[in-house]
Amino acid sequence: MAVQVAVSGTSASGTLQLRKSVNKLLPADLVVLREAFSQAMSVSDNRGFGYFAGWHGQPFDWCQHHTPLFLPWHRQYLYYFELSLQALVPGVTLPWWDWTTSDAIPSAYTDPSDPAGNANPLLVSEYTIYQSGQTQQAPPRTPGQNPGPPLPYLDSWNAAMQMTNFAEFQTALEGVHDDVHVWVGGIMQDIELAAYDPVFFAHHVMIDRSWRLWQTQNPGALPNASMLDVALQPNGMTVRQTLDVTQLGYDYAGTMAQVPGTIAPAPADSGGD
Amino acid sequence: MQRWTSQPLTVPQHVGAPYARADLEIEGVRHDGPSCYVQFYFNLPDANEHTGRDVSQFAGAFSLFAHGTCWGDAGHCEVPSGPLNVFDRRSPHPLTPINITVTVTEALRAVAEDEVTVTVLTFPVLGSDRDESLRFSRLTLLTYD
Repeated sequence: MAVQVAVSGTSASGTLQLRKSVNKLLPADLVVLREAFSQAMSVSDNRGFGYFAGWHGQPFDWCQHHTPLFLPWHRQYLYYFELSLQALVPGVTLPWWDWTTSDAIPSAYTDPSDPAGNANPLLVSEYTIYQSGQTQQAPPRTPGQNPGPPLPYLDSWNAAMQMTNFAEFQTALEGVHDDVHVWVGGIMQDIELAAYDPVFFAHHVMIDRSWRLWQTQNPGALPNASMLDVALQPNGMTVRQTLDVTQLGYDYAGTMAQVPGTIAPAPADSGGD
Repeated sequence: MQRWTSQPLTVPQHVGAPYARADLEIEGVRHDGPSCYVQFYFNLPDANEHTGRDVSQFAGAFSLFAHGTCWGDAGHCEVPSGPLNVFDRRSPHPLTPINITVTVTEALRAVAEDEVTVTVLTFPVLGSDRDESLRFSRLTLLTYD
């Protein structure tokens, strides 16, 4: 499934960043993605990977599951984490793993090393709970070995996408989401540790993309009105502020064609490449 | 794998109660332990790990994405009964029990009896230190006109 994205705006600072399928990343894109994760993992303070992984589970436990805030909370979570990566490596965006067509974890996240022979930061082998100072070996992922349905999850995803009510859509999509976490195994199967595995973010970008696609199919279908002004932990973004991804500076690329405008982009802004 | 079978629930099959959709509502599901996979069967109390999904009594399934090990001190994973006082605006405890809905329309239509028992199989994930039944407070069979 693809969404046609029209990129608007003429200034470099206002250009939407486009998230792509991990299967469509160019080799150079993957280098940038791995560089961003590698740099983030080397930062131990609240700009680094461990801090953001800690939002979801240990030590902060701010994530929302099986509550009305599941999709909004995770959308703002990806937004803040992606910004933290872009502060380190300008132009990087988080790709999605389309488990409706894929029956395996993308090789970008499973290759032991990159073509240059460097260890792949997207393949988790150890983790350090934020500010704990203790690094632990991560149990290896066990894709498809846990009890549960095999990938791909096209049928259950389609069933969710056919819902026309936000609450029902969210509930159905979260069920598919849960299946993927358990299917991957390793630390992805525990809420407390899942976000310390980089493939978590590829999975959740797919979830967020699904919501974006569903929104285009169901314009005006909103979360319950009583939820719209709820502030999400920890930064206070409201549910209402999560509804339009273009207001958060990103969108999803199914197909994309771009040409330069009349103003040359600033050197530090890759304009969604 | 653990198995639990419910008391009989009434099936609304009479002419006066047609339904377009049927759900099992599993309320108060605890998620403070390891993740697990849960399967539901109607009127099949002997269902086991070999029964699978290709029998008419298979009603549905879900993965429970749970928190795993407790990382805190004693009491860390105990869910308070409610806010401390009327000024307590903190978010609910992360381990507050959840509700799960499993749509079972086709399976319920295949039930010929007036009553149905629900057998719940709970499969632990790899590396789990527990093999226990799904922990929940109430099971409801709900139909929609």
